[in-house]
Order: sequence, then structure tokens, then C-alpha cells
Amino acid sequence: MICAQNNVAPGRKNVFRGVILIFFIVLVVRFYVLQIVQYGRYVELAESNRIRIVPISAPRGNIYDRNGNILVYNESQYNLNIIPYEITGAGGDSILEKLSTIIKLPISEIKYRMRKNWRGIFFPATICEDIDFNVLTRVEEHKLEFPGVLFTYVPTRAYTDRVRASHVIGYLREIDRNSLIKFKKYGYRWGDLIGWRGVERVYETILRGKDGYDYLQVDAHGKVLGELPERKKILPRPGNDLFLTIDMELQRYCEEVLRDTHGVVILMNADNGEIISLVSKPDYDLSLFSGVVEPEKWNKLTTNPEKPLFNRATQGLYPPGSVFKLITLIAALSEGIVDTNWTVNCHGYYKLGRRYFRCWKWSGHGTVDPVEAVAVSCNVFFYTLVRKVDIDTWYRYARLFGFGEATGIDLPAEEEGLVPNRKFLDEKYGEGGWTEGMKLNLAIGQGDLLVTPVQMVKFAAILATNGKIVQPHLAMMYYDRIKERYVHFVPEVDSITVVPENVWRILRKGMYEVVNKKYGTGYLAKLKDVTLYGKTGTAQNPLGEPHSWFIGFTDTGDEKVAIAVIIEHGGSGGSNAAVVARKVLEHYYRLKAEVVRK
Amino acid sequence: MKRRFLGNKLAYMKSINFVILAIVLLLTLFGFVVLYSISIPLKVPFFYKTVGKQLIWWVISVFVLIMVLFVKKKFLFDNAYFLYACGLFLLIIPFAFGLKVSETYRWIKLGTMTIQPSEFAKVFYVLGVAKYLSGENVAIDSPKSVFIPLFMAAIPFIVIFNQPDLSTALLFILTLVPMLFWAGVRTYYIFLLVAPVLSVVTAFNFYTFFAWVIVLLVILYLNSQNIILAVSMGIVNFSLGFLTPFIWNNLKPYQQKRILAMFNVWEDPQGVGYQVIQSQTAIGSGGLFGKGFGKGTQTHLKFLPQQHNDFVFSVVGEEYGFIGVIVVLLLYLVLLLLILNAAYKAKDRFSSLVMIGAISFLFLHIFINIGVTAGLLPVTGLSLPFLSYGGSFLLTCYIFIGLVVNLNRRL
Repeated sequence: MICAQNNVAPGRKNVFRGVILIFFIVLVVRFYVLQIVQYGRYVELAESNRIRIVPISAPRGNIYDRNGNILVYNESQYNLNIIPYEITGAGGDSILEKLSTIIKLPISEIKYRMRKNWRGIFFPATICEDIDFNVLTRVEEHKLEFPGVLFTYVPTRAYTDRVRASHVIGYLREIDRNSLIKFKKYGYRWGDLIGWRGVERVYETILRGKDGYDYLQVDAHGKVLGELPERKKILPRPGNDLFLTIDMELQRYCEEVLRDTHGVVILMNADNGEIISLVSKPDYDLSLFSGVVEPEKWNKLTTNPEKPLFNRATQGLYPPGSVFKLITLIAALSEGIVDTNWTVNCHGYYKLGRRYFRCWKWSGHGTVDPVEAVAVSCNVFFYTLVRKVDIDTWYRYARLFGFGEATGIDLPAEEEGLVPNRKFLDEKYGEGGWTEGMKLNLAIGQGDLLVTPVQMVKFAAILATNGKIVQPHLAMMYYDRIKERYVHFVPEVDSITVVPENVWRILRKGMYEVVNKKYGTGYLAKLKDVTLYGKTGTAQNPLGEPHSWFIGFTDTGDEKVAIAVIIEHGGSGGSNAAVVARKVLEHYYRLKAEVVRK
Repeated sequence: MKRRFLGNKLAYMKSINFVILAIVLLLTLFGFVVLYSISIPLKVPFFYKTVGKQLIWWVISVFVLIMVLFVKKKFLFDNAYFLYACGLFLLIIPFAFGLKVSETYRWIKLGTMTIQPSEFAKVFYVLGVAKYLSGENVAIDSPKSVFIPLFMAAIPFIVIFNQPDLSTALLFILTLVPMLFWAGVRTYYIFLLVAPVLSVVTAFNFYTFFAWVIVLLVILYLNSQNIILAVSMGIVNFSLGFLTPFIWNNLKPYQQKRILAMFNVWEDPQGVGYQVIQSQTAIGSGGLFGKGFGKGTQTHLKFLPQQHNDFVFSVVGEEYGFIGVIVVLLLYLVLLLLILNAAYKAKDRFSSLVMIGAISFLFLHIFINIGVTAGLLPVTGLSLPFLSYGGSFLLTCYIFIGLVVNLNRRL
């Protein structure tokens, strides 16, 4: 065979040239689009490929009492994690075996937890939360024998053991779905702790720090290669420290006084609303919540019939008893319905139609004027008095002194209480279905009336200051870490102007006699060195023994302290609650004297 | 006598197209730079395994290229069919001796070296087809001129298809088109060769298939001098079109996926499209100037798969940017156009057709490989000439270049 001459038509050569050129132009255009037009998009993709952002938890702010004693701080919790990749190969089982004996967890359970918390073969899966420090050191000592086992640090809450103050401080809880949706914009993530009760909840935004971020470089398998050289880690900013108005020493003492009882003590500076101590018993141990809350313990708390999680100071609803007689008196005197010399002759009962309303003293008090009526808490005086006061006026005054509405204390889920008015009674009993007798009961603080202890201390404070209304509060100030200065909380202040001066005088005189005269119902509360003004209450309730109330205030010229005490089923106010009030106030002044001496 | 001999030598040297060799050398060097960059983070033994192994192959390739330069054209022409048979023999070795490597019959293992016979078969196949088409008495106007080369392509196609390596097998058929066209075969016959492919592609949609059938019928009618051919081709294309949807439905899901991933790579980021997305990300994030030598994060953090062979061009894109891409593309373009020019100017048809065969293989490898990295084509596993890691393919490309330069001499 002989080879032919080459005689290709130039046209065919040009077809070749054209085809080659077209294909190259297609490639150039394609690369132009990828590298020039869509450059930004692909840079982003490449960056998100290789950068993993790991949050660093910021510690929450500490909480101090008014004297700078630490109440709540942070401790480190260490979680034990396993990187699944490291134990999947040969020898993985022997690592697990060794680990299992140290952390005392069967291998099957370790594997189960690893699968449960699986986020990827190169991602640490949490096996144990809050592990014992001994375990930590034992594993760390033999670090080389445990490849793929690592610890992560999580700051947790720690609480002083000198005081409980559980209802004041409150606990943290893992954020729930709804809150997460609501607060996602503030940087909350799954598994974050959020203040759930007490000031931890109310001052969440102040206490919470800002998490930092570590930028890690990872390869295609998700394996961490180290920190990103060109992007510095952002350090976490700890939360702001919060200073409470609580006096830790007094709080501790109050908790001791109320030990084994069900009741509340609130002590408040009447001038500015600073709560010096607030105790609701029974309470609970906050340290239960510092780490992982074991379900059994949690169930025990929530199902406890004594309701230790329930803050009686702000959520407990009680009839005010005789304390409320003061409202009836203030209404009548301020409106000029009777004057301050008006008297009633008490025979031990009041007859309304065919019904007899008894005085607590069956033999009667004889002739009583307003001052004595308060001092001896004469029911008949107030029965008689309230007959002259219409329900609307009485309701107006009750509301004026803050009953039937939240005090605005900085604790979550405060109850409003209940002051019945005409509308309420009409709705409940039907129009005309309620009688004057109902009003008689209300006049002495019984019937449908419901108040909270914190409303009562606010009431005492108004009486102490002749009409100044302050918002009770627990937070004094916080240290702003960004502005580097202390920020004080400014409570709301208002005043009552409709009550004339002489009425305040009568009230104070009556309340003086309650405590300081032998015939006064609160004589047991009498203090040695300081004058205490008070009023007792005995709140009848269908559940058993009446609740024992005492409210009062001291006035030492430079300082007015208001107090409210309730002992559930504590009998008459003059006995139990008055004694508690005396003890607490005596201790308060003892502590004060100590400070002065120092 | 001696002077004359020297003069001959000098003339011989002068007749060599050094520009082509220089471009090849540049591309190979660049390939080593990229391979070196990829290998930096690798552990030492693996480093020697890649860069070192490739270096050995390169030395062998240069040596073989020089040998090829001295082979006489007459020898090539006379023994072309024998060489074609040798190529087939190479292909059959793995099957004959049951040499299964990674579940395929693609490789022959010789110690630490692995040889891929399908690469060398390309050279021998080109020689064989070139010889047939350049025969003095070949009737270029008869359909026979298409069928015999088609038969020559079918044998390696079937063997390689069974290795299995579909894309390489298809190359043997695709290369036939430019060679036939260059040889002067009637466009009608080439059309008949390509028609079945179009019948398959259009069959996925009734309207496209309908339109295609009309075009097909018109062309067949206009060329209906050979009525038997026209009718039989019509029947073949019809039945292919009707069978295709049926065959498609019987494909394994991963095979379907591979084809579908071509149309929308973003749909399945962890599946077939993953490689393409990572490749595009590498290229796109390179920008105009690239991230620099050894600084491609997609490459070095292993997001880019198959980076030393199938996706080596993505590394070029990431580390050297659009400018690097343009430079490499220009080198390839100039190389191809130079060979095309040489093929045009060749005195005899055999030389010319061998060069066209070389262009065809090189062009298809270049365009398909780069098209894959840029997400224009489905992942095929075809290497990039001179840049991809892989000894057999480097050697094959060098042999092609050797043949081109040899046959381009004016002596």
C-alpha cells in the first residue's frame, strides 16, 4: 500500500480552527464567570468550608449583697467528650474499656451517649456533664492513653453557703423552645442557661455576658487543624456584677427565725424601697441547680406539697385580716365621714339585721376611739364605721395604698391580689345578692380580700412615710463592664396626698399603742431601744388555724424601716408574727450597731 | 563525508519544531509546580511517592519521546496495523491474565509501577486508522470508508468499556469524527455516525425528539442516492430514540445521578455534585490573581477531591487565579493550533492524519477535563495532558508529541 498525498481542503482546516477556538472561548467565558463575576460568592463558600466558629461561654455576672458579700459566683464545670473518629479504629475498644472503669459507666452506655450526642465523626460528643475533679485529673494524667477524649469547660453557677435567699436569687434553666425563638437575636443558643426565677430572671440581660468565639481551621473531614491565623478569637465578655439591697447577715438570720415554719418576712427601707431581707419559707437549696439538675431531685421539688419553689412573698395570696382595718379607718377619716374623736361602744358584738357580728373579744372593749380601736383591734368599732362608708370609697382607698395591683418588685410572676369592688361583688353574687354583711367582713380584712406579703410591706412603708409610695426592689446597682462604672437602679416614687396630716397622726398613735401598750395586740413585738409602730392581723382561712400577720415600721429619724411578717396557720397575729418581727428588727439594729462600732 | 554527516545532523535538528517541545516542557514544568504545591502538606513518603514517581515517569517520557523522534516514517506506515494489533493486545492483557486492580481491568502492575494500557492503545489506534484512511486506493466516497474505521474503533471501545471505563472508551469513537472529516469523508457519513448520539440525547423529550426526527428525515431524503443506507440508518435512529427512555429507566441510580449532576450541581452537595461544587469553589475563590503557591485552602484542606489528577486544573484556578487559567489555556491553544498547522502542511496524508489523531485526543482530554472542573460537563475521570499526575498518560502524550514533531520534519 502506498501512502496518498496530503490534500486537505483549507475549508476543513478552518473548521478545525473554528471548533478549537469556540471551545476555548467557552472555557474562558466560564472561568471569567466563576473567578471574576461570582468571585465573592465562592470566596464565601471556601471560607465557610474551612472555618468553624466555636463559641466560648461567657461567665455570668456575680451577685453581691448590699455590703459586697458574694452571694452567687461562677464555678467551672467540666464535661467529658469523645471524638468518635479517634475510637473507631483499632484499639478504640481498649480506650473505651479503660475510660469506662474510670468514669464508672458501662461501655454500652458510653456508646449510647456518643450516638445520642453525635454531631459528626470529628465533632466531640458529650458523654458526661459536670464530671468529678478526680476523674478529670486521672484522665488528664494519662492523656496519651486517651486520644480523642477531651474536656470542655462550662461556667456554672455557685452559691454561697451562708445564706439561701433562694426566692430572691432564683435559678437558671436550660432555655426552652419559646424563649429561644424570642431571644435568638440576643445570641442565645440551644443548651444555653437562662435566668428562670428571681433576680436571675429579671436581670438576665444585665447578668448575662457576651459569648466569645474561637475561629478554627478545619479540613474536609471536619478535623480541627488549629486556630485561624488571620482571624483572632473574640474573647467572651463576662456579665455585669449585680448588687442587691439584701443584707446577707440579716437574710441569714431571718431564714433561721422562720426555719421549720411556712411564712414570709420582708424588711424594707420605707424611704427608698430597698428590700433589706426577703424570706419565703419553705425554700430550697439553689446549689441543686448549679450543675445538671437530676430529674429525681427536680421532681421532688416540684411535687413537694409544701411548694418550696413557690415564692410566698410575691405569689402567696392571703386575707389581710385586721391589718386592713387601717384602710377602713383611713378612708373614713380622710373623707371626713367621722372625725378623730368619734367613738363606738363595743359590747362584744354588732347586730346587723338578724345577724350578730362578733368582736374577737367577746366581753367587748367598752367605748373606743379610733386610736384605741387600732390598738386593741376592735371589730365592732370597724363594723360600725364601715356602715357609714360606701364600698366605692372603701375600694378607692384600698387601691390607693397599692392593694389589688402588683407592687412592681423586681421578681418575676408577682401576684396582684384582690380587692373586691361593687362590680366584682355584683358579678360574683349577683346584683343585690350581696349584703352589708359582706362589707362588714371586708372592713376587718376578711371575705374576698387577698393580699401578698410584699403589698403589706409596701403598705407599712406608706404608713411610715406618711404617704410616700416607693417601689419595693431588690437590685441596688450593677457594675457596667462596658462603661466601667456603677449604675444605680432608680425606683418609681409616688405619694398619697388625699390623706390629711391629722389622720397620719392618729394612725401612728394607734400603731404605737398596738406595740407599746400592754393592751396593744402586738405588745410582744415591742423593741427595747427603738420605737416600733405596728398592726397585727389574724387571717381566718378555711384550711385550718388562722394565718398570723404583723406589719409595722420603725422611725429613727434618719431611717424608716418597714416590716411585714406572715406565719401561715400561726394563730393570732399578736403572738407568732409579732415575735418574729421583734426578733428580726432587734437583730437588724444589733447588726447596725455593730457596723457603727466598727 | 564526516562534515556531511554532521551537516545532516544539524539539518535534522533544525527541522525539529522546538516551539511545540518548549510548550510541552513548560506545561509539564507547571504540572510539577502544582503537584509540588499539593504535596507540601503530605507526609514525606507520600511526597516521594507522588512527586518522585512522576519525575521518574517524566524522565522515561522524555527518553521515549527522543526515541520516537528517530523512528522512520516508513517504519510507522508499514507497521501501523501491526502496532494497532499490539495496542489491542495490551488492552487484553489484564483480562487474559485476570489482573484485577481495584475491581477493574484498567491496569497492569509491574512492581511498583502501574501501566494503563488504554492510554498507549490511543497511539496505536491513531496509527492504524491513519494508515487505513491514507491508503492510496481507499474509496473515500463510499460508506465503507466510515465503517472500517468504525470497526477499528469498536474493538478497543468494547474492551475498554468492559474494563470498565466508559469515558475513555467513548474517546475512541469521538476521535474518529475529526479524523474522518480530515480525511475527506463526506459530511453526510459523519453525520450518520453522529446521528445515533443525537437520537439518544433528544429522546428524553418528545418535542425535541420530534424536531430531531424531522431534521434527520430531511437529511436522509436529500442524500437518498443510497436508499438502503438511508432507510437502515433511519430505522437505527428511530429504534435508538424509542429504546433510550427504556434503557435510562434501567440504569442504576448512581449512573443516572452522574449524568443528572451535570445539569444542576447544587442540588446534591454531598453526593455526586460534591466534587464539582468543591472544584468550582476552589476555582471561583481564586479570583483574578489566585491565592498563591501553596495557599489554596480548598486544595490543602482536602475539600478539593482528586486534586492531583482529575481536578488538577482547579488547583491552578485556586492558586493562580484567572490569569493562571488564561496562561495555561493559551499554551494549550497555541500547541493545538501549531499541530493543526503542521497537519495541514504535511506532505503525506498519513502524517497529517496521525497529527489530527493526536490533536483529537489532546483536545478532547483538555476540554473535557477542564470542562469538568468548571462544572460544564459531568465528572468523567479524564486526565489533563502534561499537568495531571499519572505516568501512562504522560508517556502517551509525549509519544503523541514525539510523533507530531517527527512527522513534521521537512526531510
